[in-house]
Amino acid sequence: MGRPYGLLRAGFPFHKTLGMRRLTNYPIDLAFGKEDRLFILCRNEGTALIRKYSTEDADLGSFGIYGEEPGQVTWPVTILADADENLYLTDEALHRVTIIDNEGELIDSWGEEGSGPGQLNGPSGMSFDADGNLYVVDTLNHRVQKFTREGGFLGGWGSHGCGKSEFNMPWGIAVDEVGDVYVADWRNDRVQKFGADGEFKMAFGESGCGDGQFNRPSGVDVDKHGDIYVVDRGNNRVQLFNEEGRYVQQFIGDATLSTVAISYMMTNAYPNRLRDMAKLEIQKLLRWPQSVIVSEDGLMYVPDTGSYRVQVYRKEAVELNELQFAPPRRAPALNI
Amino acid sequence: MADEDLGLIAHLLRRAGFGASREELEAYAAKGYDEVVEDLVDEERCPPIDEDIIKRYFGGQWPDFQSGAWIYRMLNSPRPLEEKMALFCHHVFATGFAKVAHALAMNDQIDLFRRIGMSNIREILLELSMNPAMINWLDNNENIKGEPNENYGRELLELFSMGVGNYTEDDIKNCALAFTGWTYAQPVPLYPHGYYSPEFLFRPEDHDFGEKTFLGHTGNFNGDDIIDIIVEQPATARFISRHLYNFFVADEPQVPSWNVTPPQDPEAIETLADAFMESNGDMRHVLRTLFKSDFFKAARFKRVKSPAELITGVLKLVGTYRTPTPGMPQYHRAATLMGQELFNPPTVEGWHTGQEWIDGGMLTERINFAVDEVGDASKPGIQALIKRLRTVGDSLTPEQFVDTCLDLAGPVNLEDKTRADLIRFAQSGGDLVFSSNGSANGQTEESTDRIILMLQLIVASREYQFA
Repeated sequence: MGRPYGLLRAGFPFHKTLGMRRLTNYPIDLAFGKEDRLFILCRNEGTALIRKYSTEDADLGSFGIYGEEPGQVTWPVTILADADENLYLTDEALHRVTIIDNEGELIDSWGEEGSGPGQLNGPSGMSFDADGNLYVVDTLNHRVQKFTREGGFLGGWGSHGCGKSEFNMPWGIAVDEVGDVYVADWRNDRVQKFGADGEFKMAFGESGCGDGQFNRPSGVDVDKHGDIYVVDRGNNRVQLFNEEGRYVQQFIGDATLSTVAISYMMTNAYPNRLRDMAKLEIQKLLRWPQSVIVSEDGLMYVPDTGSYRVQVYRKEAVELNELQFAPPRRAPALNI
Repeated sequence: MADEDLGLIAHLLRRAGFGASREELEAYAAKGYDEVVEDLVDEERCPPIDEDIIKRYFGGQWPDFQSGAWIYRMLNSPRPLEEKMALFCHHVFATGFAKVAHALAMNDQIDLFRRIGMSNIREILLELSMNPAMINWLDNNENIKGEPNENYGRELLELFSMGVGNYTEDDIKNCALAFTGWTYAQPVPLYPHGYYSPEFLFRPEDHDFGEKTFLGHTGNFNGDDIIDIIVEQPATARFISRHLYNFFVADEPQVPSWNVTPPQDPEAIETLADAFMESNGDMRHVLRTLFKSDFFKAARFKRVKSPAELITGVLKLVGTYRTPTPGMPQYHRAATLMGQELFNPPTVEGWHTGQEWIDGGMLTERINFAVDEVGDASKPGIQALIKRLRTVGDSLTPEQFVDTCLDLAGPVNLEDKTRADLIRFAQSGGDLVFSSNGSANGQTEESTDRIILMLQLIVASREYQFA
């Protein structure tokens, strides 16, 4: 199914908050499993665990994965789930990709530290393409590499720099439904878009805190309409761009207390009193997010790392055909 | 550059920073001593540490994570004196997580010290008085008109500025009244979504606007007026100068005895106090005076290293953690075992220093730590050291072996007896002979084993405990 000719953007309201401190500590990424299950990747120094969670804010258990042994990770960055709920994790400390099942049992692990073809140095972002191959951001080698699920090297591109197809410590990556690849070029404060084999298509963004500007973008995702979501980590926000890279809007956070958080606070009289004494506006804001994940049904999940929770927004947009959406025009107008 | 100059530069970097690798040391030495002092005290001459890297790789709100990140800064900041002054302030204006129990507030305070540690004493004391962690630590959030809490007022005079014997109990009471209403706004509490930084708040309804008499001055003083009076006092200049001397030059007795035990070098304290007074408490000027003084240059190995100094010095020697690497909090825990839990000094007096860093248990921790670290020949700093040893010759006499190791590991100055013991030990293995083609069959060379053992003996020596 192709992309719509146009969109009537009805809104993008806040949907819900998931998790809280103790359950979802330092969530950095998440993956969608079966039956509305989420696998939330939580990382802190000396800790790495996967929290199984429902989209209705229910804890389904967790398992720790921290370590250096096969099946463990030290500095995980990205989690992906395949159709069987096997979980794929990058590890930027151990320079490898680890594959475990949904209970944490080792399936496979591959990757070798180095800068040669197929070797990795600080792998961070990772995304499946439609064929099930993996694009891996090789951060400290300033490049993107493509592998089979089993770790077979398929190619790659990029080098250190700020020109087209060059990177400076890239981080997040996404692949859209036509196979184009989007990379959050972290220290260049931009997003670059490539064809499946690495041919440069476009770049957008520059340093700053205004609309369409970035302060160290860390994560990127693309939805079925071609809309591009970029985590502007240093500015504590997510920015939405259309498929041409034109700025649409930003999300700075609108969190409310999650269901589990409300339940927890019912037996905490002292902090409830302190909350009553505090200005609460700040608690809605995103703090140090680093990834964004968009579901098929238009829900945008933002692991809100610094606030131990996940913020979820819901896209409301109506697809338009050629009769409902005028041809492109360059000049603005005041007559309507 | 002569070896003597290299030793002096190493002394400067141990005191004004956290040590230096051999390569760093030679780069500093090439600039010359006075230029290095200028680089240190005028931090704008050097780029700041890469904050993007800190934020990307060292997250977490809990003190051991933040302490680990701080140790990474100590190791890698191009502005080492900035970090050293943050540690100085953390020691002198001691505030502890044990009571504050708010990790972001503590980290905000260390950031503050990093930012203003080399500014002016007036700015330091004013910012300190407005710092939420300090306000909480010394109960100024409960210091309100009609119900004064004198804790902060007392410590401001006793431990943070003038020292005992330079003010009266009435001065303490009036000082406390001037700081009534200096509190912080209630932050959103920890649960359920983590710490939020508290911010200073002046509450006029809690402030005593009445007349106060303080150190002979009378007026409707607020806290900043009190600080203006404090910083003009010669006692403040002498007290802060003695702290600087104790931290950077040579061990003094513990602070509580300062009003009865004179400084070991009164002339040095007067020199620093004069610099303090003539510059209106400009810390850069006082530090520049200190580092360029003869008494500083003559004070090599006159201080027991603090745990933070020992750990960072050893890590610089072995060359690890120069790029983001998992595991920094282990060095927070190591420092804690040695008696210096960063972010949590034991009392408002800070840590007791000098020989009080050393007891049987802590000395064991210090030596075991250093011996373990240098015992791994694969570490980049050890590899570099072995490579340099090889450049001396294919075969080194025991004296050459010992002296070159001492030079490359510091330079480290040993007492004659200790050096003689090391030479005697080296003689038991004969000359140190390198094979012509390095290690064979992946096996460690015998020479490498001997070098590692020699380094372990050096870092286990009594003398290595001194900065």
